[in-house]
Amino acid sequence: MPDRAVADPAVEIPPDAWGRRSAVAPVMPWVFGLVILLLLVGRIVLTPVLTAPALQTWATVFVAICVQALPFLVFGVLLSAAITAFVPPSFWTRALPRHPYAAVPVAGAAGAVLPGCECASVPVASGLMARGVTPAAALAFLLSSPAINPVVVVATAVAFPQQPLMVVSRFCASLAVAVLVGWVWLRFGRSSWLRVPSRPPVSGSAWADFRDAMRHDLLHAGGFLVVGGLTAATLNVVVPREWLGSVAGVPVLSVVVLGLLAVVLSICSEADAFVAASLTSFSPTAKLAFLVVGPMVDLKLIALQAGTFGRSFAIRFVPLTFLLGIAASIVVGKVLL
Amino acid sequence: MNRMSQSLILVLLGGAVLRVTVLSTTYVNYVKPGFRPYLIAAGVVILVLGVVGLVQEWRQPHTTGKRLAHTGDAGGPAHTDGAAGPASTGVAAGGRGHHHGHDHSQVSRAAWLLCLPVFAIFLISPPPLGAFAARSEEAPPPPPALAAGAYAPLPADKSTPMELGEFIGRAWGDSRRSLAGKKVTLTGFVVRSSKKDRWYVTRMQMSCCAADAIALKVAVLDAERPPDDTWVEVTGTWIAPKTDRIPNGTVPPELTTTEVTEIPQPFEPYE
Repeated sequence: MPDRAVADPAVEIPPDAWGRRSAVAPVMPWVFGLVILLLLVGRIVLTPVLTAPALQTWATVFVAICVQALPFLVFGVLLSAAITAFVPPSFWTRALPRHPYAAVPVAGAAGAVLPGCECASVPVASGLMARGVTPAAALAFLLSSPAINPVVVVATAVAFPQQPLMVVSRFCASLAVAVLVGWVWLRFGRSSWLRVPSRPPVSGSAWADFRDAMRHDLLHAGGFLVVGGLTAATLNVVVPREWLGSVAGVPVLSVVVLGLLAVVLSICSEADAFVAASLTSFSPTAKLAFLVVGPMVDLKLIALQAGTFGRSFAIRFVPLTFLLGIAASIVVGKVLL
Repeated sequence: MNRMSQSLILVLLGGAVLRVTVLSTTYVNYVKPGFRPYLIAAGVVILVLGVVGLVQEWRQPHTTGKRLAHTGDAGGPAHTDGAAGPASTGVAAGGRGHHHGHDHSQVSRAAWLLCLPVFAIFLISPPPLGAFAARSEEAPPPPPALAAGAYAPLPADKSTPMELGEFIGRAWGDSRRSLAGKKVTLTGFVVRSSKKDRWYVTRMQMSCCAADAIALKVAVLDAERPPDDTWVEVTGTWIAPKTDRIPNGTVPPELTTTEVTEIPQPFEPYE
């Protein structure tokens, strides 16, 4: 910055970045126009060809997953960018207990106040870590917030009008899994597995930081959301649901199968209760597993987590969460349902 | 991936979201109608982010080259586009962008994938889920929406328009058999059956987005089958099953039909 301030007045010696910039900028309107033109031409030429029912069904499911996750992603990214840009790091050291083992359950319980689904929680958790919150506590928040927030609790109560205990079970099991995963990570996790997104405060204004952080997070998380959407839409169309009927009666297997179904379908946590309620041939414990695992582990979430925290994080965190989710569902289901 | 491509992708994505929500009503093919304000808000945020980025990028050579000569020029655009905040912020951000832009240009190449939904929206313009999605013969039934006996009695003299979900709920979940002998009108699209004597009038039931949609089907007897995916209004009477035992979810209730009318697709394709 200072060297350029010196270089600017010297018109004879242009700064080295100057040539690159001026080469890029005039191209920009052309690229933009070209893409728009391609879309318009493609609409006339390609749209009449792309009408196979399987392709259209796949595209509908794919676009639906992306479109419905997008507002939550934007909300999460806004919140995360606001945390990074406007909330001073000292706030978190005061808000959370100093001892990490005590901070995990507090952060997990704090998940009950953020009304979003899982797409919002990943960028928020990454913003918390960037601000110095213990990773294990941020992870507990990441897991609990999509599962136990008020909107999800109400949706679950509406979907299971005759089973109020389902709501209680979901809340308890989800919070238990979130806290347990946080503690396990605290005890056995290594910092090298987790890529904590570092965002050093930049000298510019808070608003410029805010904007840059938002653009970066939105593109990054959005790209991985699309990966998850592609996989989920493909499996959604290819795997027939009749396969489920054959395992509905088997005790433990049915629980695991519905857990896996939740991973594959990648339904938003605010809607999954309605789907669970429609799986009438399964036991309540199996439905509980669907509700507990779904908001914590699913394909679009795995893609988002791998993209945000790194692959070596995801291959350890995802199986741990899945197994604890199944175990907690079986235990809570036995006690309460 | 440089900042220009990043901003370009954001503009395209925001534009696509606004296209399906503001410029058309295609969004009802994917999500609940009540979701529209959130989608518009998200689309506007994304579009503004992209446009601000493009404006900054565009202005870059001018601000570095002519800042000293024409200070007014550099401040002007930041003021008029409004979203960049006060003019001083705009200039500060523009100047700082040089060294800082490289940190944030490390966005992974996965961000290009955001073009895929844009292409899908513009090129395939996916229709609501239809006969292909509902092709399975064994559709799971919806959960009973109301406790048994909570259904209101139906008028005997005229035909009652009814949602498929309510019809199925009354057919399988109503101990007082309020449907028996009553005429009802159902709206849905046509799905063929593997059995010769029937076809299904079908509606997808969606609780949040099309990924969680399940097919609600009622078997239509005694009527010519229109082509798949035709939207129809079917008027007829429920055929009460012989036994009281509810077949667990695999058999759609049956309707003996007096009238089938082709209709245009309703505004809200899902139930």
